[in-house]
Amino acid sequence: MGRVTTFLTRTNGGTDSAQKIGVTDVLAYSYLLLGVLIILVPVFWTFFSSLKPERAIDNFDTRLLPIAQIEADIEGVGTKTVWEYTAEDGTVTDVYKAGPTRRETDVAPINDPTNIEAVDRDRLAPSEEMRVATENYLDPILKRNGQTNFQFGTYLFNSVFITVAATLITLLINAMAAFALSKYRFKGRLTFTLLIVATLLIPSSIILVSLFFVVWTFGIFGSLWGVIIPAAATPTGVFLLRQYMLTIPDELLEAARMDAASEWRIFWRIVLPLSLPALSVLAILSVIWRWNDFLWPLIVLISDPAKHTIQLGLTQYAGEFDQDFHYILAMTVVSLIPITLVFIWLQRFITTGIATTGLK
Amino acid sequence: MTLAGILLLVIGVLWIGGGTLWLLARRRYKIYQIPSFAMDLIGFPVEIAQSIWGRGAVPYAFLLPNMLIFGCFTFSPMILNFFVSMTDGTSISLFDRPWIGFAKYTEIFDCESIFVPKSCSNAGFNFWTGMFNTLWFVAIQVPILCAVALITALVVNKNIKGRGLWRAMFFYPVMLSPVVIANIWNWVLHRKGVLNEAIGGASDTMTGLAGMAGFDMVMTILLAVVLMFVSERALRFGKIPALPWTALFGALFAMLFAWANPLSLLELPGSFWVGVALASVLCWMVSVQHPFARHLFFVFCAAAALLLLSIQFDAVFDFGRYSPVNWLVTPNTNWPFFWLVFVFTWSHMGFYMLILLAGLQAIPSDLYEAAKMDATSAPRTFYRITLPLVMPTLTVVVVLSLIRSFQIFDEVYLLTGGGPGRDTYMIVQNFYEVAFTNSVPDYGQAAAGSVLMAVVIAVFTFFQLWITRRQSEF
Repeated sequence: MGRVTTFLTRTNGGTDSAQKIGVTDVLAYSYLLLGVLIILVPVFWTFFSSLKPERAIDNFDTRLLPIAQIEADIEGVGTKTVWEYTAEDGTVTDVYKAGPTRRETDVAPINDPTNIEAVDRDRLAPSEEMRVATENYLDPILKRNGQTNFQFGTYLFNSVFITVAATLITLLINAMAAFALSKYRFKGRLTFTLLIVATLLIPSSIILVSLFFVVWTFGIFGSLWGVIIPAAATPTGVFLLRQYMLTIPDELLEAARMDAASEWRIFWRIVLPLSLPALSVLAILSVIWRWNDFLWPLIVLISDPAKHTIQLGLTQYAGEFDQDFHYILAMTVVSLIPITLVFIWLQRFITTGIATTGLK
Repeated sequence: MTLAGILLLVIGVLWIGGGTLWLLARRRYKIYQIPSFAMDLIGFPVEIAQSIWGRGAVPYAFLLPNMLIFGCFTFSPMILNFFVSMTDGTSISLFDRPWIGFAKYTEIFDCESIFVPKSCSNAGFNFWTGMFNTLWFVAIQVPILCAVALITALVVNKNIKGRGLWRAMFFYPVMLSPVVIANIWNWVLHRKGVLNEAIGGASDTMTGLAGMAGFDMVMTILLAVVLMFVSERALRFGKIPALPWTALFGALFAMLFAWANPLSLLELPGSFWVGVALASVLCWMVSVQHPFARHLFFVFCAAAALLLLSIQFDAVFDFGRYSPVNWLVTPNTNWPFFWLVFVFTWSHMGFYMLILLAGLQAIPSDLYEAAKMDATSAPRTFYRITLPLVMPTLTVVVVLSLIRSFQIFDEVYLLTGGGPGRDTYMIVQNFYEVAFTNSVPDYGQAAAGSVLMAVVIAVFTFFQLWITRRQSEF
């Protein structure tokens, strides 16, 4: 018995160094299990729900698989749900309910809709099928079935445009500022550094109202640039890059100056390629910030539906059709997919990158 | 065309046209060097600065775009905030706003007592409701967030299988947008959603089990075995019982006391609290190593056996029918607030976990090896090595999460919309509604509110840094 438990609880390692699973290991693994339950299950649940037909969603069917009652279009009656009627001799017929459900319910066979007869309620069972409801996704995207309000293409374009343009601008100007602060000695360097620290302490929600005035005065209110430009300079980005550029040896720069390279060329031919690891961390952070940004786009872009980002479009959509849960869930999954794919592709890089380069 | 548009056009023409001429006059480019030419064109103002003023001007040219954006979109709004807060009207043009001094501030403070928002003017009511809700939220949120992030970081820092994957899993919600998060949780927390279904199913199963014949006997034997095991462990070594096992025994005893409900014989309520009190007395006796601790432990064992025999388990585990809770909209319960804290922690914890993880990994491992040589217990290792050394990182995390929690808007707005009633109405939502969604936008009021909130945040941050300054120096 003792040997069996030793065998079962042994962790990896040689026979000498192997340790038994301790209390802390058990606690750690149960914590991870709890994490799976709390973090992944809601996301997967949303995904599986989005594959269910409208009927299953409306009934809050909590089965995992997309099972729903079949609906049939019956001549002269309209669309009805199909039930299976098991007669006393064991034969099964597909019927629909021709009247309200009582102990004796009026039903008629699907292929003979006029032949109504009263049967025992207990002998009726819903006729179900398993079907992946692609229409949840395709209707809003292809604008079928009257779902014209979700301009998926426009939203996607706006979101991608804002994310890409803002990330490029952020990378360029933050790298420029970081280069100046890390590789030059000049009057006012400390002042500039302190100014950038100060911006770190000004939360964006405090300057919301007056930023609106500024953006309005610049004439970029209501355009995508009104979202891109105000947050393009990030103190986090400048510090992250500055910290990294300090590790680049000055000799490289001196050598380039010997070869009569201009300062701008030193910057983008030597310093930028060498600080690629820090730049990619900032790029990922910037993409997350911009793709998920909500409050500021809500203020700047809300009045013009053609300028909505995916997040705004989804909010408006969810607010407008509170009952059409099947479309809302499907569109939620659609807007979740790009960032999830990026994350799965780059996950090791993102987590180690932020943990080591970011915010030290 | 606006003034800004014309200005942009002129600058664009000068930049591209002038830059092209200037570059082509000085350098030769081959066809394949077009990308290189494009980059030169972008940086052409820096090169001009270098050729006119020499290398000393270059850093300023490099800093210019960043500082321009900081100046226009961060510093000037900060100063403008004071101006806007002292003007009235709905005009967007700054010159068109009449100066009214501190009227907007006095309106916010127009209360019998600011701690009772109901006694305030309209603007004051909204502001103080939002402010107190936010302060409550921060007070509850920040410790929970930091504790959960620290625990998670400790767990994923252990030598477990698939470490990178677990880290990724905990970080994943940070990548999701607030809208997606709100939709997911709305779906899970719906009255007929999967959470209510799961709880209902579990309680039905329990009730069903309790109704089965022999359930009483099985439960009694099961608990008796557990109690015997725990008390044997506690009494195994030495004269004084072991504290951790005593604590576990105490918890079990309190549970038994609550279930057996002996006070109901005297028709008195509060069995649960009496049980908790008795258990704490035992734990206290053991922890101070009182000479009678062992005898007391035996007394408790006997009492536990008696209690165990008196419990009717099928009555204890009969939960009856579970009625689904409407988690996000039931007023006068703390459920909406609870779920807000939960969802906020869910979605932000990963980021702080990564920062803490970096802090944990910076702790030199020879410290742990030395502790192991001295056979230091795990809790002691945590309190004496891990916690002091991770404190600087923890301070950063506390400050960052404090500033972040203060600004909570997206999650609340999308999950509860500030409701039910004003239960989850946060301060940023107040600014947003006053300035942008009300039929008569009151920019002055919102700006005055933001100035006050800036003061509160500044006080908090400095207080925090002042309290933790000794640890930071460490």
